[in-house]
Amino acid sequence: MKKGTVISYEDQIHRLGRITGIAALLLLFAVPTAVCVYFDIWPPLQGFLKGLGMVCMIYLPVGLAEALTYTPLLGSGGSYLVFVTGNLTNLKIPCATMAMDAAGVKPGTEEGDVISTIAIAASSIVTTLIVLVGVLAIVPLRPVLESPALRPAFDNILPALFGGLGAYWISKQWKLALIPLAVVILVSIFLDLDMFVLMVIGVPISILAARLMYRSGWIKGGE
Amino acid sequence: MPYLSIANSTLLYAIGGIIIVFVLVQSCLFLRKAWKQGAALGMEKKKLIDTVRASATFSIVPSIPILLGLIAMAPVLGIPFPWIRLSIIGSVSYELIAAGMGAEALGLEGLSDPGFDALAFSNTMWIMTIGIIWGLVFCVFFLKPYQRRLQKVRQRDAAWGELLIMALFLGLIASFLGPFVTTFGIDTLTLVSSALIMLLVGLVIRVTKAKWLTNFALSISMIAGMALAVLYTHLWG
Repeated sequence: MKKGTVISYEDQIHRLGRITGIAALLLLFAVPTAVCVYFDIWPPLQGFLKGLGMVCMIYLPVGLAEALTYTPLLGSGGSYLVFVTGNLTNLKIPCATMAMDAAGVKPGTEEGDVISTIAIAASSIVTTLIVLVGVLAIVPLRPVLESPALRPAFDNILPALFGGLGAYWISKQWKLALIPLAVVILVSIFLDLDMFVLMVIGVPISILAARLMYRSGWIKGGE
Repeated sequence: MPYLSIANSTLLYAIGGIIIVFVLVQSCLFLRKAWKQGAALGMEKKKLIDTVRASATFSIVPSIPILLGLIAMAPVLGIPFPWIRLSIIGSVSYELIAAGMGAEALGLEGLSDPGFDALAFSNTMWIMTIGIIWGLVFCVFFLKPYQRRLQKVRQRDAAWGELLIMALFLGLIASFLGPFVTTFGIDTLTLVSSALIMLLVGLVIRVTKAKWLTNFALSISMIAGMALAVLYTHLWG
């Protein structure tokens, strides 16, 4: 009986995800379309195709790689939400993964998917509202946000976020973390690579190393 | 620049409003569905509430750089369009890069080129929109079979299935840390500081058995790290 409920929940999520995903895509396209139609300013075809080529050459593989990497972590519900609302690495991924751990559930499980979806939904709502408030109150807020005193804080928000996140997970799974960390740091010493490139290098190596560790029995899994 | 009156038009603000409502509605729909499923699976209500509370509070501070990004883009792209773009898939850095490409494709030198006009704005809108949809497109068409594939892996070997996801996540974390570890600047110092603070918080949790603190550990280490970044910049910036 429980199995029947679980399968139907997954199907429901996929259905909701597909419907809202397509609706989101239509809305996204509506923005430039409406402006072009209303103001009659269509971009020249050549410039359009050129720009499209430039951006898709990089971001089509990026989008694909991100989807393949993040969806196993976030589960179906979380994934559909996150690829509409965005701000993945700097916000939603840390948020969802910590929420799952705090709730004592694992990613990729039914409970994990529930927590991940709830975390991402809550996060999306808050972010959307804050940005909305920011837009409405942009005149008074701007000097506060841009104050030189606060500037280093926001300039360094990513290392502040990732330092804590990294420490938390590496201390839990140091065996698994060894190889990817070593490889990425080594590469970073010699080459100044973008985070995405490091991801494409680090993730497959990490999985490969984990497979070897598992096969050899150094890691048991199920902890 | 007359195009800015298009960029800041009521039309765009109105569409922005619709999109924001959509995002909020979508989030609520998923939240409700997941909540119900959580209850059906017998999960403690407290866990679900804690998740909402922790996620909501955590999201406050990281939302501020998004506003800063909006402020940065507004002079060239107006307010409503960056507002829409930043409320939806696409990070600040992506938006700036894609916007620059939209301009360059028309022979301009990027966003700040004085020749940036209505056509450039229109082109940029399209480029920024289409460039970032691919993750969503993947989900709409391929997520279900992909998840099913992962399920099969897990069913065949549950221990490996779990390790696979953890290894994937740690590879990801390594890629987050990489750029900041080797710069040996204030950012490296901040990274290490917040890492140490997180370990400290972990120790406190273990000693005092205050499990609820786990919900806020990341917020604490992040904000403390940011505060220290201000200090470090003051001392050595």
